[in-house]
Amino acid sequence: MDLRYVLRSLVLAALVAPAAAAQAQQGTVAGRVTDASSGQPVGGALVNIAGTALGTHTNAEGQFTIRGLTAGTVVVRSLRVGYAEQRQTVTVTAGQTTTADFQMRAMAVMLSPVVTTATGDQRRVEVGNSIAQINAADIVKQSAVSTMGDLLTAKAAGVMVIPGTQTGAGIRIRVRGTSSMSLTNNPIYIIDGIRVEGATGSSTVSVGGTTPSRVGDLNPEEIETIEVVRGPSAATLYGTDAANGVIVITTKKGIAGKTQWTYYTEQTAIRDQNDYPTAFRGWRTGATGTTNSTASNAVQCFLFQVATNTCQQDSVTSYNLFKDSEATPFGTGYRQQHGLQLRGGTEQVRFFLHGEWENEDGVTKVPEFEKAYLAARPFRTPLSGSQSNPNELTRITGRANLNVALADNLDVAVTAGYTSQDLSLPRSDDSGTAGIAANVMGGPGFKYNLNAAGDTLYGWREFTPRDVYQAETLQGIERLITSASSNWRPMDWLSVRGNFGVDYIGRTDTQLCRFGNCTSTTDREGFKIDNRSSFFVYTVDAGATASRDLTERIGSETTVGLQYYRNVFNRNGAQSEKLAPGAVSVSAGSVQRGEELTSESRTLGAFIEERLSMSDKLFITAAVRSDRNSAFGRDFKTVFYPKLAVSWVVSEESFFSAPGWLNQLRLRTAYGASGVQPGTTDAVPAYSPTIALGEGAEMPGVVFSAVGNKALKPERSAELEAGIDGTFWDNRISTELTYYNKHSKDALVSKIIAPSVGAAASRFENVGEVRNWGWEAMVDAQVIQRESFGWNININGSMNSNELINLGDTLPIVSSSTLRQVEGYPLNGWWARRLVDFDDRDGDGIIEYNADSTLSEITVSARPQYQGYSAPRNEVALSNAFDFWKSRFRLAAMVDYKGGHKVYNNTERIRCASRNNCAGLVNPNASLYDQARTVMVRQHPSASAAGFFESADFIRLREMSLSFNAPDDWAGRVFRGRSLTATLAARNLGILWTKFSGVDPEAFATTGDAPSSFQAFAPPTYYTFRLTLGF
Amino acid sequence: MTSYITTRSLLTRLRRNAGLASLATAALFAVPMGGCSPDELLSVTDPDLINPQDVQSAAGANAVRIGALNRLNIATSGGESLLLLGGLFTDEWINGDSFIARQQIDRRIIPPENDFLLTANRALHRARVSARQAIDLMTEFTPTAPRWQVAEMHFIQAYVVNIMAEHYCDGLIFSDVEDDGTPVYGSPITTAAAHERALGHANTGLALLDSVATTDTAGVRVRNALRVLKGRILNNQATSTDASKRTQAAAAVALVATTFRYEEQHSQTTNSNQFWNLNNNARRYSVGSSEGGNGLNFATANDPRVPVCLGGDATCRAIGVTLATRDDGTIPVIVQRIWPARESRVAILTGIEARLLEAEALLPANPAGSLVILNTLRLTVTGLAPLADAGTPAARIDQLFRERAFWLFGRGTRTGDLRRLIRQYGRTEDAVFPTGEWHKGGPYGDDVNMPVPQAEQNNPNVTPGQVCINRNA
Repeated sequence: MDLRYVLRSLVLAALVAPAAAAQAQQGTVAGRVTDASSGQPVGGALVNIAGTALGTHTNAEGQFTIRGLTAGTVVVRSLRVGYAEQRQTVTVTAGQTTTADFQMRAMAVMLSPVVTTATGDQRRVEVGNSIAQINAADIVKQSAVSTMGDLLTAKAAGVMVIPGTQTGAGIRIRVRGTSSMSLTNNPIYIIDGIRVEGATGSSTVSVGGTTPSRVGDLNPEEIETIEVVRGPSAATLYGTDAANGVIVITTKKGIAGKTQWTYYTEQTAIRDQNDYPTAFRGWRTGATGTTNSTASNAVQCFLFQVATNTCQQDSVTSYNLFKDSEATPFGTGYRQQHGLQLRGGTEQVRFFLHGEWENEDGVTKVPEFEKAYLAARPFRTPLSGSQSNPNELTRITGRANLNVALADNLDVAVTAGYTSQDLSLPRSDDSGTAGIAANVMGGPGFKYNLNAAGDTLYGWREFTPRDVYQAETLQGIERLITSASSNWRPMDWLSVRGNFGVDYIGRTDTQLCRFGNCTSTTDREGFKIDNRSSFFVYTVDAGATASRDLTERIGSETTVGLQYYRNVFNRNGAQSEKLAPGAVSVSAGSVQRGEELTSESRTLGAFIEERLSMSDKLFITAAVRSDRNSAFGRDFKTVFYPKLAVSWVVSEESFFSAPGWLNQLRLRTAYGASGVQPGTTDAVPAYSPTIALGEGAEMPGVVFSAVGNKALKPERSAELEAGIDGTFWDNRISTELTYYNKHSKDALVSKIIAPSVGAAASRFENVGEVRNWGWEAMVDAQVIQRESFGWNININGSMNSNELINLGDTLPIVSSSTLRQVEGYPLNGWWARRLVDFDDRDGDGIIEYNADSTLSEITVSARPQYQGYSAPRNEVALSNAFDFWKSRFRLAAMVDYKGGHKVYNNTERIRCASRNNCAGLVNPNASLYDQARTVMVRQHPSASAAGFFESADFIRLREMSLSFNAPDDWAGRVFRGRSLTATLAARNLGILWTKFSGVDPEAFATTGDAPSSFQAFAPPTYYTFRLTLGF
Repeated sequence: MTSYITTRSLLTRLRRNAGLASLATAALFAVPMGGCSPDELLSVTDPDLINPQDVQSAAGANAVRIGALNRLNIATSGGESLLLLGGLFTDEWINGDSFIARQQIDRRIIPPENDFLLTANRALHRARVSARQAIDLMTEFTPTAPRWQVAEMHFIQAYVVNIMAEHYCDGLIFSDVEDDGTPVYGSPITTAAAHERALGHANTGLALLDSVATTDTAGVRVRNALRVLKGRILNNQATSTDASKRTQAAAAVALVATTFRYEEQHSQTTNSNQFWNLNNNARRYSVGSSEGGNGLNFATANDPRVPVCLGGDATCRAIGVTLATRDDGTIPVIVQRIWPARESRVAILTGIEARLLEAEALLPANPAGSLVILNTLRLTVTGLAPLADAGTPAARIDQLFRERAFWLFGRGTRTGDLRRLIRQYGRTEDAVFPTGEWHKGGPYGDDVNMPVPQAEQNNPNVTPGQVCINRNA
């Protein structure tokens, strides 16, 4: 497709349209939308004219006006979530206003009748895909939502969310499984029509694993709805990068009418109530310091030594410092939030204003023993305020959304969202010996262990918070997401839209160890890292839609569009070591280093889409999109993505004899393709700079670092989706069932280059093929709907299967000692030599390994074998909500299940293999299996960790809330207000069932595709009181 | 006249001029892009990349040469290279952390998937290929550059090929890459063939330095490095039945002064000394102490050539090692003091090695002369008493190899020496490598060399599934 042709067409349409419009004789339709049963106005309903580009939303009084209609007969539709769609046929007279009032009948189901697509709002029934919708505004008000992770978790089938486990930690989202071996599997994010940054692992300083994700910058309070476009069949028109799904976020907008002020506050207590592992120690008596256990050494007698009579256990002690109020690093965290929103305006100008301040001080605290230690040593520099509360988030957010009707046929919207955020994170997770987790999970199995200086460590392994917390890691974010869009309808059949936006992020990552602080010898010399990064994501989007009724039965919508995305990343990093006492800046270090990093990618895409509707029962959509991208190789120019979708409301057909309990039955199917772009420089062979010390000085040099690939092109995913949707029993039950089959071809394989080539370790080649397939289902039922009592059940679930079909001529990729990419198996599968069998042959209660297989009590496979999926395959969320007393009270709870996968309990592995404090190594009462897996990882030549891949199916009580909506007159009497809502809520109340023996099957620090559960804290519990006051 | 526009009046004006506003809106989005071609819109320049054509100059050639020197640094003492891993594999170091890959090497059970070994392997090849690229560019763009600069690039190639032959099984591969990134794959060769290849590189380098003036410090340094390296290669080529190569080795190093050192330098802004980092700082390695029975008592010998301290004791605290435990929590951590700081230089080749080669060449026929050389070297270190004749040929060999082990501790010779004891002196594997129960539990394996990394299977010239041609010493 010639892109310039599309551009010229758009400009031509803009030029000719006003003149054409002036020639037409036009009329107006106006009316009011009310609730059929109560007579109350229905605000926010979409009223549009079928077969045209014309439509509007009702104001707070339920009123609407649609101008610019060609004289004649038109069908007016009214759509609103919670109500059945209504239509009226009216006759428009030139120069006059025709009235069309609607009395809408409430419907129990909560699915919105309108969804957002790449070409604009569209009736759900017309779309050939299943698009998940999350009504964010309601969820936030009725449950304890503090992050985007809370908002998205277990809300939509096929959308798997792994939440963060510490204050400020990022989330990981996978939509319909994992498709890419080498590129990101993150979905893309669109807010009010513009692309925004959603990277995970967004930090340049390490605290061992936990990192923020930029999705976490977004404030759920500002969001009206979230829609998840799950796969390429629906995401085709979003173009290259959309193959992993699209999260479409619509922020709140103003509503015409009297200005509504809303103040809200949340007060939250945070507790870590998880069961962390107990440490064991086997004491022995010996004649020398190397054979005698003392409180200051690590000498023990292990089970395998007992079995061989190498030593005898005098006693076995155990200690769990997390259960000791004197030693635990956890206390009660506290979160508070205050926000103010204004919504209002006129028919011409509507506004939404929001401001919020929040602070969350996490559960990581200074233990009591440490406070006593420091109090007893006034000569020692105490921990500063930030060091004493090493995990804290403070955020200010603001948003201004303005919608202006410049003319009857021209709307302009300007939005701006601002975030200012400071996050401090402690060294934890896999932060080596300096991390909190390494010290609290690696301790010796008794309380009063001593270090070389004679200090009691209270069961901590090596370092305690007086040193560990001195490492200060901060991330500062200044973010502005702004957009300007216009929608111009020069004729009732033509709509032209334009959209321009920028997402700017200024990120400052710092890490400081002052002189004499922190743990290691080198750290105590002092160091400071200060990395300043800028992200710019530009969106330019223009399109035009022509709507025509081709015949009385067939309607047509033709859309052409053009999009241009530009992503720019810059970083200036500075670092220095050996700080002077008191110094905290990079310039104060005696050894200084600097770095500069830039990357940029640009995408130019164009599409054309044709939608046909036949008798408002059958809808066919066909489209094609082409993209060019700066990251493609020089031999690859343009990629084309086709799309075809069909939606058929079969129950509307005359031949369909619907039983009385069936309200609507819809069949749908869609095929489409999309892609993921390579890294910005992956196609280019290049040298990179280096510095060599020699010949008298440091000298600049270069090394050949990237071999490039001139044929590089995007990964291409094509998906076929088919489903059936129904509503039953007076619309009280809604169901969706979807099957999808997604093939990712030309998958970018980071093909290992033979090391003897002496170049880069790998290069990207489009040789892979990955398949994801599975089912998604949703049932929403209003089981009971009475004035005094209501009961709503929602179940959503998904099953995903994944297979690496083809790796080209590449060998199986050994990603790590436990992860491999092997044809015929899932991506990122766990692999290791299997524990085939174990048997306590000699009956001594201890499992032993012997190089002589006839004597060995464990049997291990000769080669690595597949162990299981590393990510959940199956997910089910069950929500129940009970309404009491005219829906004044609502009690809601959500339980979710994830399973079909294994989690690598790497925490237990290191406790057994290296920390020497796990039950399987020390405790004679440990199960034979625990002993066997320990023997395998420690003594068997394979050193296989297979015994630590554990079935990780679990059921969690994710949310529970009780909310109270006071009668309107209460608010008026108490504070002259409009409304009052109070909510008590709790999040992550604990695991109800699991076979996983580790802390928590969602205890991950990192956000990669297959993280192990390695010395990571588990999700804490949030207890929240929320008060919302309307004025 | 006062003029102001209220929001309302502005709106009214805009509404009146809706058509104009519509055009402006359309133009706003269309014009900036409509004037550009797609190629212009998608044109991106990345300032972080240096294009291959940027090095097609005299300055570029020199920059590539310096890059090769840095890659040699990373492939030796500036990275976790065969100098450290080879010492871990033998008796110089024991493992002090929880990484399975290091434990596999320490325990002599190394699967080809071992990623630490892959990294070390790749680092060596990168140094070799960078040196080749530098030679090509210097030949084309700086033909009048000092000859030692080109010779030093040949030295890098010879050093890399030799040390790989000392550590790896038969089946070594030496590939290359073209400027456009296209690999040029090599085929598996034996270690004997690799030694011959290394010798060729060394001779080519030496030929460039035939007429180096004694005042040409850099030239002399590189020539001495090439001479010691040549001697080492020849010594490796000796067999149990043919010791003539040792005589040639002694001849090759004869003119090298005992004080000669070819050093790798380190700093905080380039590459840290990794002996210091992984032993003194991170405590992931601890100096070996009679490891696996056959190991030498480096930690307890109280030998000034391998000075050590116990983590946390006064001596260790003086060099900044305040902690008593290894990274895995076990004790003691035994800390070397040869390189006590991040910046400590590492001499990867020395004149001492030249004398040791001479002593080894003399040993069969003139054990007394050999002992004189050893004792002359010992005189240079305070606290080292002269050695007495060990009495028997076997004991003399033990004595010589012990001297080599202490003089050359950490310089990447120990694996080669243990293999030579098997290959050239008829010892058994169980008599030279650590055996019995590994210090963390479980028996030692029986590897006597390192496998070619599994990643080399991506070379189409490698038979699928074949890692080594053979695993003999």
